[in-house]
Amino acid sequence: MEKVLTARIGKKDSRSIDTYLADGGYTGVKRVLTSGMTPEQVIEEVKKANVRGRGGAGFSAGVKWGFLPKDTKGKPIYLFCNADESEPGTFKDRLLMENDPHQLIEGMILASYAIRCRNAYIYIRGEFYDGARILERAIGEAYAKGYLGEKILGSRFSLDITVHRGAGAYICGEETGLIESIEGKRGQPRIKPPFPAVSGAFAAPTIVNNVETLCCVKHVIDRGAEWFLKIGRNEKNAGPKLFCISGHVNRPGVYEAAMGLPLKDLIFGAEYAQGMKGGKKIKAVIPGGASAPMLTAAEIDDCPLDFDGVAAKGSMLGSAAIVVINEDACIVDVAKNLSKFFSHESCGQCTPCREGTPWLYKVLTRIEAGQGRMEDIDLLARICNQMANGMTICVFADAAIAPPLSSVTKFRAEYEHHVTQKRCLVGARAAELVTV
Amino acid sequence: MSSTPVAPPPSAPPPAPPPKDTFTVSFDGKAIEVPKNLNLIDAAKLAGVDIPHFCYHPRLSVVGQCRMCLVEIEGMPKIQAACTVPLKDGLSVKTTTDKVKNARAATMEFLLINHPLDCPICDQAGECTLQDNSFGYGNQLSRFDEAKRQYPTFDRTMIGPHVVADMTRCIQCTRCIRFTHEIAGTSELTFLDRGGRTLVWTHEGQPLANDWSGCAADVCPVGALTTREFRFRSRVWYLQKTPSVCPGCNVGCNISIESRDDVVYRFLPRLNPTVNDYWLCDYGRFLSEPLNDRDVHKATVREGSAVREATVPAAVDRIAREIRSSLEGKGPGAVFFLGSAHLSNEENFLLRKIADHVGSPNRDAIVDKSRPRKVKSKTVWVEGDDAGANHQGAKDMGLSPGAGGHGLDAVIAGKASPEVILIADAAFSAIADDPEKVAALRRARFLAVAARNANALTRAADVVLPAASLAEKEGTFTNVQGRVQKFDRAFLPKPPIRAAWEHLLLLALALGFGDRSWTPHDLLRQIAAEVPDYAGIKEEELEGGRLLKKGDFAWAGRP
Ligand SMILES: Cc1cc2nc3c(=O)[nH]c(=O)nc-3n(C[C@H](O)[C@H](O)[C@H](O)COP(=O)(O)O)c2cc1C
Ligand code: SF4
Ligand code: SF4
Ligand code: FES
Repeated sequence: MEKVLTARIGKKDSRSIDTYLADGGYTGVKRVLTSGMTPEQVIEEVKKANVRGRGGAGFSAGVKWGFLPKDTKGKPIYLFCNADESEPGTFKDRLLMENDPHQLIEGMILASYAIRCRNAYIYIRGEFYDGARILERAIGEAYAKGYLGEKILGSRFSLDITVHRGAGAYICGEETGLIESIEGKRGQPRIKPPFPAVSGAFAAPTIVNNVETLCCVKHVIDRGAEWFLKIGRNEKNAGPKLFCISGHVNRPGVYEAAMGLPLKDLIFGAEYAQGMKGGKKIKAVIPGGASAPMLTAAEIDDCPLDFDGVAAKGSMLGSAAIVVINEDACIVDVAKNLSKFFSHESCGQCTPCREGTPWLYKVLTRIEAGQGRMEDIDLLARICNQMANGMTICVFADAAIAPPLSSVTKFRAEYEHHVTQKRCLVGARAAELVTV
Repeated sequence: MSSTPVAPPPSAPPPAPPPKDTFTVSFDGKAIEVPKNLNLIDAAKLAGVDIPHFCYHPRLSVVGQCRMCLVEIEGMPKIQAACTVPLKDGLSVKTTTDKVKNARAATMEFLLINHPLDCPICDQAGECTLQDNSFGYGNQLSRFDEAKRQYPTFDRTMIGPHVVADMTRCIQCTRCIRFTHEIAGTSELTFLDRGGRTLVWTHEGQPLANDWSGCAADVCPVGALTTREFRFRSRVWYLQKTPSVCPGCNVGCNISIESRDDVVYRFLPRLNPTVNDYWLCDYGRFLSEPLNDRDVHKATVREGSAVREATVPAAVDRIAREIRSSLEGKGPGAVFFLGSAHLSNEENFLLRKIADHVGSPNRDAIVDKSRPRKVKSKTVWVEGDDAGANHQGAKDMGLSPGAGGHGLDAVIAGKASPEVILIADAAFSAIADDPEKVAALRRARFLAVAARNANALTRAADVVLPAASLAEKEGTFTNVQGRVQKFDRAFLPKPPIRAAWEHLLLLALALGFGDRSWTPHDLLRQIAAEVPDYAGIKEEELEGGRLLKKGDFAWAGRP
């Protein structure tokens, strides 16, 4: 596939507005603002392209924009670009922001025009210090060239974009947690309804979209919905997509491909991760970031990497962060490691999540340390089952149970071995333990 | 031939049904009509269905955090937190399915795994929502085999002048935080940290020192916030609850006097949406402490330079004799009657009747001004600044100088020199402890007072009658809103102590009017018959008006 989102990445000075303009950047903005294309027409085009949200949930951006109230009762409409990118294994938005910031800015201008937003914000994770500086510089360039600010390109449309740095909380990536954080409050998700499109930041209608989603918008407007829909396995799962692959592969990194790229191709393809490091076998693959249930080696055959393809395997594409785990890794250790993350990042407001995530971590720690009991294995599954499916305000808890629940279900023998033998059932690590 | 079809006669459209101001909602198959603006939890209550909850509070924003109020809603696949489900017509709620039971049991288990379960040493035991719900939804055995979370330096610590915090017991429901933010408007409390380490504390070590800090302990469903004053003093199930009215100021907050063995242990706010709602100010709340103070136990009568004990009837007789002799000698103008903003309407009324009976126009009831106090009702702040609960009532009962009569100012200033002064409440004002002013009153030939505690006035008086405290009598107060509010007796005064109205009734009888059988109820009937603004007031109305029905009233502590 021709590179779209990453086409300019790697080119000299790809961050600067001059190279961006030279590569045909901002023509979409020019065309929309000078051709008399209405905001509704922009929304319609994005709806038609079925740009499914790249932040994790895969919800159609155009449809979401359509939820905005027709009459906002004098309230402004906000666009928040979700650049919190904290899902373990995910590092695609960073690449886009640090290397081609104008692509995102253009996407945001078009989206803002479509939803009639006057003030847009980029909520960027605090650790992305460079990204924030790069974005700010690029925003400055865009103001200087008249693509931002009052009456853009002489039109009646004005827009300001502000970069807001987070303070290091995964939960601020959840859209209502993000909104609370921008309001200056403790970052914790809100109960829904009302949904942000109806009542979001400062009780005003608010659209939250992921960085990559907004970048896609730029290309949909440049090249049309028809073009976008042709990329990928089917029209429900279309468009260019960034995949972040990490773990025990030869060439981890971010790869752009059409939606629906077979998972095996991503792991073994010559243009992608080029196979397993040291020729080891795959034990498990996490297909969509830490929140996605693990797949076994058998399940990765015939798994198209798109929203419906991964869902059909009982997991999710999520943020398209593919973590490949080889036979030498202890699955209990993997689950424990991920549980530590979730127990650290729960915002703590819902009882099941606040209490359940550390409990899971403690039990996993115990099993991993050889102090587990057989009952612990079922206990893990039971704790998981009583945390999810409506038990909490946001789906963090549903995410947090993915690693322990999927691993306990799919790799139960490893857990049992850990309990009875008090050590891991794996190659290198087990061998080490045996020789001691 | 014309084929134009004959139009059917225009049938009048059926009259549109009047728009309902209720929704039809069903709980476990039983449909009821509920007001549209209710929360589902309160709607369920109307249907007689209890939905267990911790974080929901009818006056605080809905946060859906504790996840205890889980229910099934027809048409929604996932379990729902009832407090967050907007009411609508036709909503069908299920609260008894296995899915609901399991979900609530799950939340209960999560709440208890790190809870210290130190009920045996916890003041909240007996009125703890966690304890109660654990009976309904908890497990006998814990599956949690890890070390419980500890909060070094955040346990058993005073976070303000009254409130003691123990984070080991906290269930992170944020009611206290929302109280300081949304009701007090002072926002001292906040969540610190996150996840399993989340705890409630004050911002940067600032104290929880607003005027209503005790309410934070009230809204706390567990023993994480308790008051210094009540800690470790009594098991709550031993406490008798008596509906009463706060004596602190003319806001007249509705309270529950909580007593045991004739000792008052605490005041709690008693729900009255039109006055104090669920709240109570700290000043009033902790008046429960001095309510137990007493150093006047017996009647005393001065004979020459000696003060000797007397029976109450004998002491009252003496007052009656002095009044009569002055009347005979100097006429009605020689007697002065002083009521009090701390006395009930019935007491002040009876005092005024006595003044009427002897024909004296010299009568008064004054009040000290206090620091302005306010309490939030359901809708507005109610503000007061009288240092007594019933100045309005005392004035309404006619305790101000009659034609040609004098008030207290004139007496103290020496513009009037009554021979006999009867002060029905020795604590009527700070004047009673001001030596100069007491000396001015002492210019009278005879000075009689009723008192609970000694002060300059009682030390100067010729007759001192031992008077009951608020907890030891019943009656009504009229607050700053003009609301007549009834208070009940928590326990009987220890003989020979009597309520001021009993002293006054004895005096009336000695002076030749009244009926030995009169009670405060009879006096209220007389007030209803005689006092213009109070015309027709019925005691039943006061009780029916959501106020004061002993033993059966909404106590604000545990919504
Ligand atoms: C716990 C949690 C963390 C999330 N973190 C992110 C994130 O870092 N970046 C992101 O774009 N979306 C994140 N999301 C998804 C957002 O809530 C939201 O769905 C998304 O930003 C919407 O944008 P999209 O429709 O363009 O994908 C997270 C969701 C949850 C529940
Ligand atoms: S599920 Fe967890 S992260 Fe989400 S709101 Fe509840 S406590 Fe916070
Ligand atoms: S201290 Fe009490 S009221 Fe405050 S959050 Fe904890 S349990 Fe709730
Ligand atoms: S009462 Fe509904 S979640 Fe707490």
